[in-house]
Amino acid sequence: MSRGTGAGYDRHITIFSPEGRLYQVEYAFKAVKSAGATSIGVRGKDCVCVVTQKKVPCVQDKLLDQTSVTHLFPITKFIGLLATGLTADARSLVYQARNEAAEFRFKWGYEIPVDVLAKWIADKAQVYTQHAYMRPLGVVAMVLGYDEEKNAQLFKCDPAGHFFGHKATSAGLKEQEAINFLEKKMKDDPQFTYDETVQIAISALQSVLQEDFKATEIEVGVVRKEDRVFRALTTEEIDQHLTAISERD
Amino acid sequence: MGDSQYSFSLTTFSPSGKLVQIEHALTAVGSGQTSLGIKASNGVVIATEKKLPSILVDETSVQKIQALTPNIGVVYSGMGPDFRVLVRKSRKQAQQYYRLYKEHIPVTQLVRETAAVMQEFTQSGGVRPFGVSLLIAGYDDNGPQLYQVDPSGSYFSWKASAMGKNVSNAKTFLEKRYTEDMELDDAIHTAILTLKEGYEGQISSNNIEIGVIRSDREFRVLSPAEIKDFLEEVE
Repeated sequence: MSRGTGAGYDRHITIFSPEGRLYQVEYAFKAVKSAGATSIGVRGKDCVCVVTQKKVPCVQDKLLDQTSVTHLFPITKFIGLLATGLTADARSLVYQARNEAAEFRFKWGYEIPVDVLAKWIADKAQVYTQHAYMRPLGVVAMVLGYDEEKNAQLFKCDPAGHFFGHKATSAGLKEQEAINFLEKKMKDDPQFTYDETVQIAISALQSVLQEDFKATEIEVGVVRKEDRVFRALTTEEIDQHLTAISERD
Repeated sequence: MGDSQYSFSLTTFSPSGKLVQIEHALTAVGSGQTSLGIKASNGVVIATEKKLPSILVDETSVQKIQALTPNIGVVYSGMGPDFRVLVRKSRKQAQQYYRLYKEHIPVTQLVRETAAVMQEFTQSGGVRPFGVSLLIAGYDDNGPQLYQVDPSGSYFSWKASAMGKNVSNAKTFLEKRYTEDMELDDAIHTAILTLKEGYEGQISSNNIEIGVIRSDREFRVLSPAEIKDFLEEVE
């Protein structure tokens, strides 16, 4: 097996291409987009909110039990993860993240901080970009939680192993349009209240997908300073926010 | 390391005797953000651009310059995730040395061990080389030191060096400006000017990072306020 020039193999496993790129990682990003969904995350003054579409266009939904479809996963009581991309890879990641968070709590006696978990996820992703025997995961993970010292936190971890803290961000099919929308809203570094945060996130999604949602078509997850726990909003609560948005316009 | 199915090296010699994966890794470094280091008579300064993909990114969550021990710091050009792995491994090696000898690891030894890790990944089965070059700055009993480590695992000691996108302009600039008896504050000004040369856009205290170590042997990353002061002195 001649591997002298890496000819052709740089597209199959994560070795460098002649331009110094990792094609497998770039293809993993494309896989995230191919799943068809778009997600948004916004950090307010004392809260974080993430939103994603529940109904993904390519899923046959007549016989499907809609309540079993979810992209929002609690990792611990206080940290949530919104997965965008391939759902099977997402479940694997969530399983490992839950394990890691539980071990941390057991070993060190306190809850894992959000940035520590995000870094762990990103470091795991980096391993897949460097070792040929495992492919990168086709998932972008948004991790949200409330940190005692640094207040509300929103992190995004991608298949390349990058992770950053965000004031607002997006992932998935319409990622770039959503980021453009959010950049305009967050330009002057506003400190949104809880209601404003949720409504900005939902209206960003509505704007880039150019459709108005029903409460059953989207999933919303929040973490707030008041109770610190990560929870998914109920259909009623989502409805309230949707109404508030439409009355505002 | 890795699965037995990949117990052959992915980095192999080409007919012309080159290790092509390492060359590609260097290309990846060359397309990374510019970073540089300058060794002065009484300390070392390392600096880098910190261009973030969007204004939505929280710049306080990103720190490109990291301390490996209290008296050794490091900056990179290339792939951020690979850098994190190397930082973690180097820190562990430094701690293992301390546990054994109850003394802080000398700069040269840490550089050697980090370089050895990078070399491993050019020869082991089923892995690719690291896509980063490192500039390691430290101050120990041998005085101030600056080392550059490449993806191949080779390292050299430098009086001043640069890496990344703007490497050739930066190095030319440094060659002109460097003097043997340069003092640290002078070196910091030179570092800022060198970064400014190749910077696309407006340089500010929020989009560069500077790390400094003086004869007090404490490596520190400068705060945005301190960078602002230096920027004003340079203007």
